[in-house]
Amino acid sequence: MGFRVDLIEGSRIALRSLAAHRLRTLLTTMGVGIGVATLLAILGITQGLDTSFQSQLASLGSNSIYVAKQPWVQMGNWWEFRGRKNLTLEHYEAVKSQCTLCSAVVPMLDDAADVEFLDRALSFVNVTGSTADYLAVSGFEITRGRFVTAADDDNRRKVAVIGADLADSFFPNGADPLGSTIRIAGKPFTVIGVLSRKGKLLDQSQDLVVLMPFNTFKSFFRGRRSIEIGVQIENAEELSRAEDQLVGILRRARQTPPDRPDDFAINKPDQLASTYEQLTGALYGVALGIGFITLLVGGIGIMNIMLVSVRERTREIGIRRALGARKRTIITQFVLEATLVSAVGGAMGTLVGLGGAKLVSLVTPLAATVRPGTVVFGIGFAALVGLVFGIWPAARAANLDPVEALRDE
Amino acid sequence: MLIELTDIHREYTVGGEVVRALDGVSIGIEKGEWVAIIGQSGSGKSTLMNVIGCLDTPTSGSYLLNGKDVARMDDDELAGIRNQEIGFIFQNFQLLPRETSLANVELPLVYRGVPAKERQQRAIEALRKVKLEQRMHHKPTELSGGQRQRVAIARALAGEPSLLLADEPTGNLDSATGEEIVKLFEELHRAGHTIVLVTHEPKLAARCPRAIRLSDGKVIGDGVGAEIAWLGLTKAG
Repeated sequence: MGFRVDLIEGSRIALRSLAAHRLRTLLTTMGVGIGVATLLAILGITQGLDTSFQSQLASLGSNSIYVAKQPWVQMGNWWEFRGRKNLTLEHYEAVKSQCTLCSAVVPMLDDAADVEFLDRALSFVNVTGSTADYLAVSGFEITRGRFVTAADDDNRRKVAVIGADLADSFFPNGADPLGSTIRIAGKPFTVIGVLSRKGKLLDQSQDLVVLMPFNTFKSFFRGRRSIEIGVQIENAEELSRAEDQLVGILRRARQTPPDRPDDFAINKPDQLASTYEQLTGALYGVALGIGFITLLVGGIGIMNIMLVSVRERTREIGIRRALGARKRTIITQFVLEATLVSAVGGAMGTLVGLGGAKLVSLVTPLAATVRPGTVVFGIGFAALVGLVFGIWPAARAANLDPVEALRDE
Repeated sequence: MLIELTDIHREYTVGGEVVRALDGVSIGIEKGEWVAIIGQSGSGKSTLMNVIGCLDTPTSGSYLLNGKDVARMDDDELAGIRNQEIGFIFQNFQLLPRETSLANVELPLVYRGVPAKERQQRAIEALRKVKLEQRMHHKPTELSGGQRQRVAIARALAGEPSLLLADEPTGNLDSATGEEIVKLFEELHRAGHTIVLVTHEPKLAARCPRAIRLSDGKVIGDGVGAEIAWLGLTKAG
């Protein structure tokens, strides 16, 4: 008799046995189901995190580079960054005149300040001072009015371009903000434009911003500050070449000795991505570990119930053996049964897990997405757990002495 | 010769003590014979039945079944022999309780790999032989004891084995139903089937053309059923 017959007959018997013990099957499958649900919910949420983070990163502008004194993500000696020379307008001029791969270069200064309009106030608004090309570098667009111009900058005009969050809370219901006077850190500014909405990055709004001319910023926020140099690269494929070029220009301009490392930082959105991956990777690992342990517990549950099932059906095994079933046939039958129980649990767990991920995406800002492959993985993995944990009980069934088995009450 | 047992020994070790369940048994059974193996409990008749039925292998001695040396076969080969050559009929029927009569009768054919359609035809044919084709969709729990035993006989017949091996087939039945079953065996014998019937009841053994009496693992009598059945016993026993 071939293996095919073993499989067909085994599946039939397994289905019957499951149908005969519905409650027991349900309870047994729950263990595996919970394991799969946990795994899938975790996978769904992390996949959702990944996709939303990717799209958030895209909002930073994928071919922009920000040169600063300190890196965005600091892993190491804070004092080392602290002790660096400031970036100055001199360095900006050097980049502006020498960078051949840059399509736009802007100086940037920023601070957090309170912004008020009439009786309304917003705290911790990011106030940035920059020049006309800032739009190209940052990826913002103008939805109303105009952006700052070179003339605004030269004359240190007290004009401001407000972010979407400010427009919403100060000028609700489509009220026209242009020409209104807002107070930034207590000083009056005239609104000349509104920025497009970017959304959130790592749960922080990018639209709680105010833009003003670079020189205006300098005259209002005093103190020796290190500027940031925002650069847009014409061609995204030349990003790393442009980076090399920037490093060269800045080392020369800052007279960094050849034996010293760079005393400035080249910040790119994809750096954030790799940091993010490092951080979430660990979290991911722990969560997956929990999922696997749950599945292990579920698998032991299956093994237990299969041992009970073998014990209960000893006589049936004896009858089958007497009538010509080989050991292999009995093993196949019970392994299939365990696999099936587990796969059913996996399917239920998949539904619950997807539901859980969906729920998370409804009540939290995380967008849970589930790829079809994940579902297949969930059910397949559960089946594998059943297979592995079913082997031992099945082998016990097959190794029963037929004579003894037939005598079983 | 269908069955040729030569100097069969079967020993068990129970609690460090060697028990000789079969102690040099030699028996020959021809095709078409109906033979009772009779003995009291502990005589070794159950062990002998298990050896003949290829459920157990002898410690020593040779066993030729249909010309094949089954004493030296491995587990898979024995499963194949049981499937092809032997039709078991047990005292407590040994039917699968959750399956219909038809599915029960089909079972040996399933393990032989017979295609579903042919399997069903042959199972129905076997049920017809025991006059139970009307009950083929009933489960064992919906049948009387006599009907259950007839399903078991149909199952034994379905595979057209060379040997029907019955173990106390009337043991769990009242005398009237038991008589029906014995009559069925008589019919099967007339139809040419080889039957080995293991029992402790002299009355049943007396109905068989030939009987072999076992005691303490040895053959103590072999001859016409009616004579051997009561050997060593008083008629009243």
